[in-house]
Order: sequence, then C-alpha cells, then structure tokens
Amino acid sequence: MRILVVGGGTAGTIVANNLSRRLTGEIRAGKVRITMLSASDRHMYQPGLLYVAFGQMTPDQLYRDQASLLEPTIEFHVDPVKQFLLDKKQVKTESGKTHEYDILVIATGSRMVPEETPGMTEGAEFFYTEASAVKMYKKLREFKGGRVMVAVGVPHKCPIAPVEVMFSLDDFFKARGIRDKVQLKYHYPIGRLHTIENVAKWAKPEFERIGVDTETLFNIKEIDAKNKIMKSEEGTEVEYDLLIVIPAHRGMEVIERDNLGSGGWIPTDRYSLKMNGHDDVYVVGDTTNLPVSKTGSAAHFQAEAICENIASIIKIGEPVRDYDGKVYCFIEAGHEKATYAMFNYLNPPDLKPPSKPMHWFKISYNHMYWTSVRGLL
Amino acid sequence: MTTQTPTASASPFNDNDLQRLVEFAQLVTSVQDAMSDDMVNRLASTMSEGISLLDRLTRNDGLTHLLREIDRPENQRFIICMSNAFTQASRELATAPPLGGGLGGLLKLISDPGVQEGLRLLAFVGARMSNSLREVHRHGL
Repeated sequence: MRILVVGGGTAGTIVANNLSRRLTGEIRAGKVRITMLSASDRHMYQPGLLYVAFGQMTPDQLYRDQASLLEPTIEFHVDPVKQFLLDKKQVKTESGKTHEYDILVIATGSRMVPEETPGMTEGAEFFYTEASAVKMYKKLREFKGGRVMVAVGVPHKCPIAPVEVMFSLDDFFKARGIRDKVQLKYHYPIGRLHTIENVAKWAKPEFERIGVDTETLFNIKEIDAKNKIMKSEEGTEVEYDLLIVIPAHRGMEVIERDNLGSGGWIPTDRYSLKMNGHDDVYVVGDTTNLPVSKTGSAAHFQAEAICENIASIIKIGEPVRDYDGKVYCFIEAGHEKATYAMFNYLNPPDLKPPSKPMHWFKISYNHMYWTSVRGLL
Repeated sequence: MTTQTPTASASPFNDNDLQRLVEFAQLVTSVQDAMSDDMVNRLASTMSEGISLLDRLTRNDGLTHLLREIDRPENQRFIICMSNAFTQASRELATAPPLGGGLGGLLKLISDPGVQEGLRLLAFVGARMSNSLREVHRHGL
C-alpha cells in the first residue's frame, strides 16, 4: 500500500507522522510505504509570524528542518508537485519524477494573494510571510502616532488573527507610551465583528474597552498608496497613516491549474474528508473547502480523523470515525492575556474571560507545536 | 418525638478550610507574579524537546534492547566491572612510566598476562558482534 502525502506543512506532517506511528508493523513488514513530497526542506511555525510582527519572536525561532520532524520510516522528498493525475493514481513533480499511489493525501495549504487587490502590496502592512512580518514590525517601531486602520480580506488563514492584531496593537502602543496618539480602527467584511458569531459578540465590548473603533460591511476594493486612502466595495473610503491588512488567501496554484477546486480549495466531504468523487484521495487542512477555520488546529483534528481511518482501512477494511468539525483556537487578547474558542459543526464556541494562565498556555504551545507535528500531542 | 430542622449555617466549609483556600490562592497569585513570559518560554521549550527525546528513546528498538540487556543481573555486574576497570586503568596510567615505543615495547606489553586477558575479552566480544551483525543482515532487519 503506497500512501503519498503531498505537502509538508502542519497538516501533511501530522498525517505522515501519525500514519507512520499507527502502521509501524505494516511498514516494517514492507506492506505499507509512506512518501512525503514537500516544497521546502524547512518547516515554519506559521502562528509565530504574528509574534514576529510585534517583536515578540525572531524569525529563526519559527523554523525547524522538515526531515528532523519526520519519523525515520517516512520517505521524504523536497520536490513540489507539478501535476495531479488522479485518474492514473499518479502525481508528477517539478523534478520530472512520477509518484504512484494507492492513497493520496493532499495537504498543499494556502497562500496570501495581496497582489490581487490593487495597491495592497505597496500601501499596506501584513504578516503572513517572514519578510512581511519583519517589515511590519519595523513600520510599527517607526510609527509616531496617527490613524492605524486594520482591514480584512476573505477568505483568509487563521480567522482569529484580525481580532488578535487589535489587542496586540493596543498593548504595543501602550508599551511605547504613545497609545493616546494612536487611533485604532477595525474593518470587517460582514455585518458583525467576526465570522464566528460568539467571537463577534465577545469582541464588541472588548474592543470598546480598549478604545477600538469599528466598521462592518467593509470589503477592501483598492488601496491608494500614494494618498493613503483605502476604498471599499461598498463605496466608503478611509484615510490612514498606517494600514494593516489580513490579505485574502487562495489555495495553491497547482490545485487551480489541475481543476481540482475553484480558488485552490478542493471540494471535500465534511465528515470523511475525502475529495468529492475520489475514494482514494483525502484532503486536509487549508486545502479543503470546508466551512471550518483555516488553522493549524483544524488541520490537526482533521489529520487525526484521516489517519485513524486510513489505518483502520488497511487493518480491518473499514473506516472507524468521522471528522466532527473540531477546532481549538487560542485568542491572544494582548500581550498579557488570552482566551480560546473551541467549536465543531454542532456546537458554537463559548468564550471565557481572558487570563494570564491562558496566555502562558498559548506561548507554551508555541514550543509544544513541534511535539504536536511530530504526532505526539 | 422531636423533629430536627437543618440549621442555616450548615456550610460545607469551616473557617480553617476557607483560610487554606485563601492561602492557596495567594500562592497561585505569587507564582503568577514571579513568572515571566520568558520563563514560560524556556520551560515549555525544554518540556517539548524533552518529550520528543523521550518519545524517540522509548520507541528506539536498539535502545529498548540495550535497556533489557542492562537489566540482567550479570550485565549490571559487567557495567560495575567496566566502570571499576576504567577508574583503575586511569589511575595506573597516571603513575605508569611512558612506553619506550618500538617492537620491543609492544612485545613487552602483550607478554603481560593481564593485557592478554584483555585482548581475549575484546576478541570474544568482536566474534559475538560479527555473528550478530551477520544474522541481522541475513534477515534484512
């Protein structure tokens, strides 16, 4: 049985390691082989980018060698996929190799596309790559006061990030002693402060408490970088001195190019996590088109369900469980406190008041992440 | 016959319990005050690496086998003998005059019965090890 995992991010790495642990006997007996194809030999802890943007982590702390995170039984290649040939049960890679599979797991992730919004690359700061996070930190350090506008593109990775940014900005400027010289305003594309209703309800009084102005139904249309004006699809305009955006995201180009899913999001069964119409293809993490958060946490819980099912199919011929939509998101409410949102397809989150121990839990998790992707937690 | 009614002060806590709770809360507060993000980072990082290391060690067949062998009483005695031997050899080396070198020196050294015993022990271990390695490769493990 050849299991091919495409993608070496959070989802792909957990899947490969979890399967390797579950199928140790079968791998030793030569009945199962696990191969991973990744675009990079390094693995990045992506949630750490927000900390880099506020000077709380340095970029080197975000990386580990991918090979060091994988079980030794996993065959690992740094060779991105160029083409999916699902009818032939093959994928072709950039190096020209063809890999055949019996089970394919697609975990190619997502990417921000600020270049698709006119003026965004030149006129706004963001933190979804190492370079942009460092640049944003430098801009924040230089900022002397004025209007800081935050706006959100959709869809995007880590839905809690826009809320966390506001708390972090408040604490950052307080620590610099210039909070009274800064106006903070939050713009969100739908008719409330967050896509998850209970997070929106929780955020409203919290934003009022820290003095954040808000505007909903604001979808970024274009940014006039020269005159520092952001325009919305709804026809409104806002002037800014510093603009921070959460850029819209798409799935990877190869997914779109091979017509596996519109926008790079693959149509996926919400319970089995199989690609619609393909019994031997699983989709995990950001790559799915599921109505759950595009976060490492969702990827983690999806990976567990997929691995349990693949292992049981190999061992007893049947899957044993469904993915229930579980997501667990930490919410940093500034640099001192945090809370969390846990929810699934049936139960909305019930947010608790932020606390210091939860903040420590979150920063502890920044380190425990490596234990998590190794398939231990 | 009299009927007893429960008193309003039937609290599950007495003053002593409450005092202890207050003291515990003070302890938690003081731990929180004493800790910093940096400390939490270091502790969490050590824990994470420690757990990963422990995981690798406990699932390493070679090490598990080694541990099983070390548990055998005769091997524990072997380790004691080996560590004693290292200690004694280190002391003897410190006081022994340097060797003159050359074939003569080598002949003098290997004509010592103690050295010959040592070489025989190494030969036994070498022979067993090569047999074991041959078996491992034969079974493709």
